[in-house]
Amino acid sequence: MPSSAMKRPLGLTVGIILLGLLALAIAGASWLSPYDPLEQRVAERLERPSVEHPLGTDRFGRDVLSRSLHGGQHTLLASGTALGAALAVGLVIGLLAGLYQGSVLDTVFMRLIDVLLAFPFMVLALIIAAFFGTDLLHLLAAVVSVWWVSFARLTRSVVLHVKNDGSFAAAKVLGASDAAIMLRELLPKAIGPVLILATFELGSLILSISALSFLGLGSQPPTPEWGSMLADGRDHFLQAPHILIGPTLFIVLTVLAFNLIGEGLRDRLDPYERSDI
Amino acid sequence: MQRMFLRKLTGAGITLLCATLILFVLIRLAPGDPVKLHLGPSSDVALDSTEAYDQRVAELRTQLGLDRSIFAQYTTWMKRLLQLDLGTSIHTGRAVGSELADRLPATLALAVAALAIQLALGLVLGTASALKADRLQDNVIRLACVVLASAPAFVIGLFLLSFFAVSLHVYDISNEARPERLWLPAVTLGAMGAPNLIRIIRANLLAELGQPYVLSALSRGLARKLVVRHALRNALLPVVTVAALSFIGLIGGAVVIESIFSWPGIGKYALDSILLKDYPAIQGYALVVIAMVVAIHLLVDVVYLFLDPRIRRGREGDVHA
Repeated sequence: MPSSAMKRPLGLTVGIILLGLLALAIAGASWLSPYDPLEQRVAERLERPSVEHPLGTDRFGRDVLSRSLHGGQHTLLASGTALGAALAVGLVIGLLAGLYQGSVLDTVFMRLIDVLLAFPFMVLALIIAAFFGTDLLHLLAAVVSVWWVSFARLTRSVVLHVKNDGSFAAAKVLGASDAAIMLRELLPKAIGPVLILATFELGSLILSISALSFLGLGSQPPTPEWGSMLADGRDHFLQAPHILIGPTLFIVLTVLAFNLIGEGLRDRLDPYERSDI
Repeated sequence: MQRMFLRKLTGAGITLLCATLILFVLIRLAPGDPVKLHLGPSSDVALDSTEAYDQRVAELRTQLGLDRSIFAQYTTWMKRLLQLDLGTSIHTGRAVGSELADRLPATLALAVAALAIQLALGLVLGTASALKADRLQDNVIRLACVVLASAPAFVIGLFLLSFFAVSLHVYDISNEARPERLWLPAVTLGAMGAPNLIRIIRANLLAELGQPYVLSALSRGLARKLVVRHALRNALLPVVTVAALSFIGLIGGAVVIESIFSWPGIGKYALDSILLKDYPAIQGYALVVIAMVVAIHLLVDVVYLFLDPRIRRGREGDVHA
């Protein structure tokens, strides 16, 4: 029976190894994948997994493994970019709101957050897709405009916490400017928790983007992207369930890797969530 | 207590007002002429000559008040909203309000059933996990949670659908909201949200069991079962918030599940409206969901006013934090 001290690094290690392998496979998609992800071979359509096509072929005879590997590039790049932007916005707003707590700026930001919390992500994504167009760029804009909220709230709470300890007062007394305090005192302390949150959020972001692409509101064909590959395979699912298994496997493994890493990091760094209390 | 309640109510009102403002600005920012969007492309309108179409556009512009200032437009729109007028669907020509009202029960039934499944799973597995912390049972539950939380709901839905409808023939593929068709989408939606709830209940119960009063009660010889029951009651207080927030998530997530199972709720309606370019319908859907979310947040705040004496006595506390 593994003790809790032994077990925690295990999930983290598994997550990191899994993510490393996936990253290598996806980054090396052009060398690793046996076929061109866009090449159609009508004679070989909807083939079951075989030695030539380890994950089978889709309704145009395209190799599912090649498409899944290339699709990973699109999915991960899109999710990563959107999350990075949301993180940056959230970090800046959180730092400002925390540093100037109680000011008009803080009140406005907090009110904005309250209002945005009333917009479920799905609803905002649907509105943006309907009025601005169904493509990946608009989907990512929807992601950024909702996802920064959790980062801003976390950053603000860290800042309020840090303001109570000595280093903040010391910097103030020594005459450091607000910008210097933000960069040297507050940012380094906020970045750790924010990155842990980001690991979790990246997993759920990949799931959300896939779901919206699956509904036809994200990447458009023929771009290989995990969600749109699943949408593409939906109509042929009953005859050829294997077309869904490839992209699903990649989505589950990627999100699993991020969740394991996030959980491992949180268990190590956050004493309140420790299971051995 | 009354003052706190009024403050929460005002806060919810302001949030709702700001949300309508954001929605209004967002829709006005969208590319494309709202009048032409409203009329549909010229071929869809029973007018042959473009001149007649242009004239109709100009007429409608005045009729909809789009030639007036943005502020005047917003106040008119708000006035109509307050009369519960959500506009008319381009596709069906019916009032969007009544179209949504027809479909809302299906979505609510789905969300409530999913929430019940989620809560049942959360309570049973969360407690089971916490009481055997770091033993085999706990590890299996936690592993299952991590894996389930990593799976896309729509694929699980598709596999369940093919298994129960095609392989076993125990589930009807149709687009009706009959009670016997509710269980499969509800199970899918409920199972997808369960890991989060299981984790939170486990963490809360563990934190509660670590409190000095538990040790003191146990050392005085109180039955373990009794102590656990007391701890569980305290641990469940924060779960009210989590359950309410997950209900909001279920209403949003219902879009995907309703689409897969052809469950005729408001989520499916919104998705179909996007494909039909039925803009008033999507706008109406967004407003209804946002109003529901604000109402649920308010409800949580009010429930806490009753449940938590610290907040009731007027101490400032944000239960969402």
